[in-house]
Amino acid sequence: MTPQEAALAVCGIIAVYAAVRLAMEQDTLRKLPFLNVLSFAITGVIALILPHPLGIVAAAAYFVGSTLESNAIASTYVGGLDRRE
Amino acid sequence: MDISLLAFAHILVAAAVCWLNFIVIDIFFRLPEAGGVVGATAIGKHIEAKGGALHGGYMMGNIVSSPDASAGTLLASCGVFIAGIPGGLLAALLVYIGNRICHDPGYAGTTGCISATFIVYGFTFLGFSPAEFIAGMVLAIATIQGISHPRASRLLSRLWEVRRG
Repeated sequence: MTPQEAALAVCGIIAVYAAVRLAMEQDTLRKLPFLNVLSFAITGVIALILPHPLGIVAAAAYFVGSTLESNAIASTYVGGLDRRE
Repeated sequence: MDISLLAFAHILVAAAVCWLNFIVIDIFFRLPEAGGVVGATAIGKHIEAKGGALHGGYMMGNIVSSPDASAGTLLASCGVFIAGIPGGLLAALLVYIGNRICHDPGYAGTTGCISATFIVYGFTFLGFSPAEFIAGMVLAIATIQGISHPRASRLLSRLWEVRRG
């Protein structure tokens, strides 16, 4: 097993673990940290299986997009607009 | 030692290094002080309601809501894995843009990404692969956001007390 395959295995296992915890958590806002772990793991998998300069852009775009979605879900869920200046 | 066993040992070491990098930078940039957006504040309060600590919860909410130093460390590892130091610096630029998209006025993500680029590159001279740092960072974030929110938030609050003095 090469270091790359070992890393891929760890990312995959953590992604599945995070997905299970995400499904088991009842509270919507407390689901989001598990979703964050899942996004980290998927970002890692994208970079590991796509070793091309654009792979960095793909991984970062996926990660920033998922973070922005979590941000939007959490802020909308509590009924407030984003008031950060 | 078996080559795959060595890779897993490297991943554990990388996880500890990544954990220190993002926790030190996030706490230095005052992430546990308050939620950056209303959603982050709400996540902190919900974690507190389940038996966690408020300031640790705020930091966890902030990690969810905008790319912080942990995201910077992950993307720096991805960048160095693919293209060496220039890849890590490209990742830092993307994290900077991501921070602005997520209404984050801070520089924790960009700083964490630049520091992680040089840390990961330095560790390649010790026989580590940047791929091991990708897995290490995923493992490190799982210890904070993915195992026990009450315990993680209490630990982060305790570290925040140390930082605040």
